Amino acid sequence: MDPCELVETGLKLSHRAGADEAEAFFLEHSSLAIEVRGGKLETLRQSKERGIGLRVLKGGSLGYAFTSDLSSSALTEAAQAAVANAACVTPDEARLFPAPADWDRALAQYDPAIAGTPIEAKIDLALGIEQAAFAHDRRITKSERAAYEEGEYQVAIANSHGLKAGYRGNFCGGYAWVVAEEAGDSETGSGLFYTTKLGELDAGAIGREAAHEAVRLLGAKPIPTQKLALVLPPQAATQFLGILAPALTAEAVQKKRSLFAGRLGEQVGAAAVTIIDDGTLPGGINTSPVDGEGVPTQRTTLVAQGRLENFLHNAYTAAKEGKRSTGNGTRSSFKGAPEVGPTNMFIAPGHAAPQELIAGVDKGLYVLDLMGTHTANPISGDFSLGATGILIEHGRFTQPVRGVVIAGNAITLLKEIQAAASDLRFYLGFGSPTLVLGPLTVSGA
Amino acid sequence: MLLTKGDVETVLGEALAGGGDLAEVFVERRVTSTIALEGQRIERANSGLDQGAGIRLLADESSIYVFTNDLSLTGLKAAAQAASAALKEKTPGRKVIQLRPELAARPLAVTRGDLAAKVAVVFTAEKEARAGGDAIRQVMVSYGDSEQEVQIANSKGMLAADRRYRTTLVVNVVAGEGNEVQTGYESLGGTAGLELLTSDRVRELGARAARRALLLLKARPAPAGRMPVVLAGEAGGTMIHEACGHGLEADIVGKEMSVYAGKVGQRVASELVTVIDDPTLPGKYGSFSFDDEGTPAQKTVLIENGILKTYMYDLEWARRHGKDSTGNGRRQSFHFPPIPRMTNTYLAAGGTPPEEIIARTPHGLLVKRMGGGQVNPTTGDFVFDVAEGYLIENGKVTVPVRGATLTGNGPRALQAVDLVGTDLGFAIGTCGKDGQGVPVADAQPTIRIPELVVGGLL
Repeated sequence: MDPCELVETGLKLSHRAGADEAEAFFLEHSSLAIEVRGGKLETLRQSKERGIGLRVLKGGSLGYAFTSDLSSSALTEAAQAAVANAACVTPDEARLFPAPADWDRALAQYDPAIAGTPIEAKIDLALGIEQAAFAHDRRITKSERAAYEEGEYQVAIANSHGLKAGYRGNFCGGYAWVVAEEAGDSETGSGLFYTTKLGELDAGAIGREAAHEAVRLLGAKPIPTQKLALVLPPQAATQFLGILAPALTAEAVQKKRSLFAGRLGEQVGAAAVTIIDDGTLPGGINTSPVDGEGVPTQRTTLVAQGRLENFLHNAYTAAKEGKRSTGNGTRSSFKGAPEVGPTNMFIAPGHAAPQELIAGVDKGLYVLDLMGTHTANPISGDFSLGATGILIEHGRFTQPVRGVVIAGNAITLLKEIQAAASDLRFYLGFGSPTLVLGPLTVSGA
Repeated sequence: MLLTKGDVETVLGEALAGGGDLAEVFVERRVTSTIALEGQRIERANSGLDQGAGIRLLADESSIYVFTNDLSLTGLKAAAQAASAALKEKTPGRKVIQLRPELAARPLAVTRGDLAAKVAVVFTAEKEARAGGDAIRQVMVSYGDSEQEVQIANSKGMLAADRRYRTTLVVNVVAGEGNEVQTGYESLGGTAGLELLTSDRVRELGARAARRALLLLKARPAPAGRMPVVLAGEAGGTMIHEACGHGLEADIVGKEMSVYAGKVGQRVASELVTVIDDPTLPGKYGSFSFDDEGTPAQKTVLIENGILKTYMYDLEWARRHGKDSTGNGRRQSFHFPPIPRMTNTYLAAGGTPPEEIIARTPHGLLVKRMGGGQVNPTTGDFVFDVAEGYLIENGKVTVPVRGATLTGNGPRALQAVDLVGTDLGFAIGTCGKDGQGVPVADAQPTIRIPELVVGGLL
C-alpha cells in the first residue's frame, strides 16, 4: 500500500476509534550489513521492515500504539489501543500536533548509486577495508571485523491539521576493528566512516586508520597520576559531545534533568566553544526535510563562543514555553512517539591545524580511545572513563599509554576547552574538530 | 503456532535452493505495553504489536540473515530467495525438509493485569520514592511488559516454540541540594506477569531508589588509588557478567578476541570461584525454555573451582568447534541473527559470611551497587561505575563515597579473589552486544578482591 494512503487510513481509523485529533507516522526501513573477516564473507544481513505508529489526543491526553501488521484489523486494533492508552495518561494542554508548514524537498538525500550497486561490489568494498588494514603494517595480526553497511528509509507523516509530508533517503558506511601484536602486547584500533554518497566511501582510508591506531598503541603502559592537557581528536571529542547532547534539549531542561537549566544567555563554556545543531546540513547523516512530527528542520546555534543561546525543541517542549519547534522532534522508529534530540550536532572548527595545536602542548595526553562513555551520567554530566592514548611531551608524541582514568563533568569540561582545530569530522550524527583541554587530572597507576 | 509446519518446510526449502549447510526460520510475534511516569503524572502509555521472521542461511563460514515483517507465505518465500541469492558460490539442488513434531514450552501461569492495575503499580512506586522528603526533586517510573511468542525451525528438522512473558519496573530518582544533583536507580524484572510486582516489592523498590539518591548527596568524593575492594552480594553480578562472562562467549573466543581462548581445563581463577550460566532458573529475567535457535535451556558450569570448563555456544560456533550448543544462542528479536549470549550468570556462593569478609578487611572500598561498565574482551581490562560505595575503615563500614570507578583486569581480579561470601544477590539488565540487547540477570555473593584501582573524583 502507498505510504501516503496508509497514514490517511491510520488517521481515519483513529478518529473512528474516538480520537479528538490524531497523527499517523509510517516508516519503512531497509538495511544491508556485510561483515568480512580473514578475506571471507562472514555475515550478510539484509532487512526490510515497515510499520505505523498512531498518536492520538483524547480529552487533552496523548496515547500511542504501533503495529507492524498493516492489515486493516491490526490497524483498527492499534487505533483503539491508542485511544485506550490516552485514557490513563494525565491531560496536558501542550500536547498538540504541529500545523502544516512549507518544507524543502531538496533536503531529502537519496543517492541512487547506493541501491544501484550490486551486492558483490559491496562485499569487495568490505574486503578492501580489511586488506588495507593488513597492508598498512605487518604487525596487524587479526581483524575482529571489517564491514560495509547501508540503510534506506521512506517516511510518511500526516495529522488532523492537514499536515502531510513524505520523503526517502539513504546512507552508507564502513568500519574496521583490528588488532596489532608485538612482543606479547596486543592492542585494538578502529576506523569508521559514514556518508550519504557511495562515491565518498574510501575503503583504504578506513582500513589504514584502524591499523594506524592499533599500531600506535603497541607498548602502551600505565602512567602515574598527574595533571595533563587533554588533546581529543574528533573521534574522542564527539563521544563527549554525545554525553553533553541530552542536556541541550528543552526536554531535559523542563524536566530539571539538565545542568544548563535556567542558564540561557550565560557563559557556559570557553570562548573557543561553539555548538551547532543542523538538520539541513548538506551531506549530514541525519539531514532530512522534516523532523519526526513533520516540522521543517533548521540550523540552531546552541552555544556561541561559550554563551548558551538555545535549546533543542520539538512541538511539545516548544508549546510549553510558547516557542517554535526547532525541528528536533526525532523519531528513529514507528514504535515510539517523537522525543527531542539532535540531528547533526557539532562543535564548530577553529583555524589552526591539529598538528599546530599539538606542537604547543608541553605535557598532554592525546586520547585515542575512551571506554565506558555509556556509563556517563546524562543528568549530572559526571563521567569517569578509561582511556588509551599517546603521551605528548614538549609538543611531541612520546609514550603510548593505557589503563588511565579521566574523571570529571562533561559540562564543566566545556570551560576547559583551550582551542578547537580546523579538522571538523563527523562520526554519524556528531561532529567535532580536535580539541585541546585542561590541564586535568589523569588517574593512573 | 504462528506458521503451519508445511509453510515452514516450504520456506526452509526455498532458502536452501541455491546451496548452503543449514537454513533456519525464526518467527516472532511480540505484544508490548509500556507506561512512564514523570513529574507526578503519567506521561506516556504505549502499546504495540511487532511481528516478523528472520531467515538464516549458513554456508561454510558465512552467515546470511534476511528479515521481513511480511509474514505471508509470499513475503517469507521472497526473504528466503533473497538469502539464497546472497550466496556467493551456488550449489543448486533442492533439499526436502521434514520437520519433527513441534516442541513447546510448558505454559507459564502469569497474571495479565489490565491498564488500570499497571498504572496503580507505577503510582505506588512513585509515592514511596517521594516519601524520601523535600530533597527528592524528580521521580521517574517505567513499567514494561511483553509477551513474546516465537517459533523456531531449521533444516535439520528442529521445530520448537516458546512463549515468554517479561515484566519490568524501573525507578529513577533525582535528589538535589543547592547545586548538587544525584540520582538513584533501581529495577526489578523477571519472566513473569504482574504477579511479580507485589505491593511490598514495589514500595521497597521506590524507597531504595530514593535512599540511594539521598545518600549520594551526603557522600564524599571517593579516594583514588589501589585498595582492597569488597563487592557486596546485593551489588549483583555486573562484574562477573562484564569482566568474565563476555570472554567466555564462543564467538569472542573463536575470533581469538578473548583472554580465555585456548584455556579450557586450565586454572583461570581463584579456586574459590565457580561461575555458572543458567536459563532454567525459574522466573529470572534471563530465563527461557528454548533459546532462540530452539535448543532446550540448560545449566552450564563455565568455571568450576577456578578451572575453565567450557564456553557458551550457539549452534554456529558449536558447529565450528565440533561441540554441542549449550543453549546460549540468543537474539534481541527477529531483526537479528542469534549469537552466543549469557542468560542468568552467577558466581556461586562460597563459605564466608559477608559480615566476616568486611570485618577481615582493615581498609578498602565496599561496593553495594554497581553502575554501568565496559570491558575490552581482548585484554580483559574493565572499567565500572560504582553507584553506591562506602569506605571500609578498621574492618567497619563507615562513610558513603561517590564518583568511584573500578579499573582493573577481569582474569587477574578473578585470580585474586580471596574471600567468597555465603550470600547471592541478583541484578537484572539488558546486555548489549553487536547492537543487540537481550534481557539477562547476573548474581554474585559478597567477594573480596585484594587490590583494584579505584579512580575517584580528584
